Amino acid sequence: MASERISVIKLHELLLVTVPPDPGDELISSLQEQVLEAMARHDAKGLVLDISTVQTLDSFFARTVAETVQMVALMGGRTVLAGMRANVAVTATQLGLTIGKTLTALNVDQALDMLNAMSSGACRV
Amino acid sequence: MNELYQGEIRITSENEIVIARKVVRDAATALGFGITDVTRIVTTASELTRNIYHYAKSGVVYWREVNHGTDTGLELTFEDQGPGIPDIDKAMEVGFSTGKGMGLGLPGSKRLMDEMTIESKVGIGTTVIVRKWLKK
Repeated sequence: MASERISVIKLHELLLVTVPPDPGDELISSLQEQVLEAMARHDAKGLVLDISTVQTLDSFFARTVAETVQMVALMGGRTVLAGMRANVAVTATQLGLTIGKTLTALNVDQALDMLNAMSSGACRV
Repeated sequence: MNELYQGEIRITSENEIVIARKVVRDAATALGFGITDVTRIVTTASELTRNIYHYAKSGVVYWREVNHGTDTGLELTFEDQGPGIPDIDKAMEVGFSTGKGMGLGLPGSKRLMDEMTIESKVGIGTTVIVRKWLKK
């Protein structure tokens, strides 16, 4: 199903990774591999992980995202988690999920602005 | 009772975690839960269905509408014949896991739902029942 695929789009020096609404465990696991492979192949400086359509963020998904952010950081890239819905944020917090130092943005536009500002040296995080 | 408000999902593979989420989402939405409560219920279903798959390999998730006086709610039962939980108090501690999880599943689900009961016997299996009541 096309809607249940992870899309990875290159935008200048950044990657836009879009997660489908209800990904299965296998797809979530493949996210990590796809992201790291695309980072290396495109020589990307960072990525936006668009979760604006994601309906359920459970502990398995959250752990995979946190690990991916860490791996991208080890490769010298920055990740911004973008577009988490309000109901998902409420539930994730009550479940006990923490995101550590992961950068977040309200939407993809703001996430791209953040990453562009960082790489131009206008903003330090 | 309407067929929609009662049913079961047999869990035998990872794919059924997605199916359980879909079915529980439809049931909770049909009962009239708002989007945030639906998300709480579906997230709980995801955590507890994955527990069945990871620890017992197979099991059954039952869902049904429950009524108490004028209150209406959704009850989910997660049943398996897996290894069982030796120490339920320990399993309810945040961060404790004998598997590869984050140790959030059981304590987190308890916070997301209104009621939770766990029955488990080592070598026999585990039954977790959770309920969420509709706010009036």
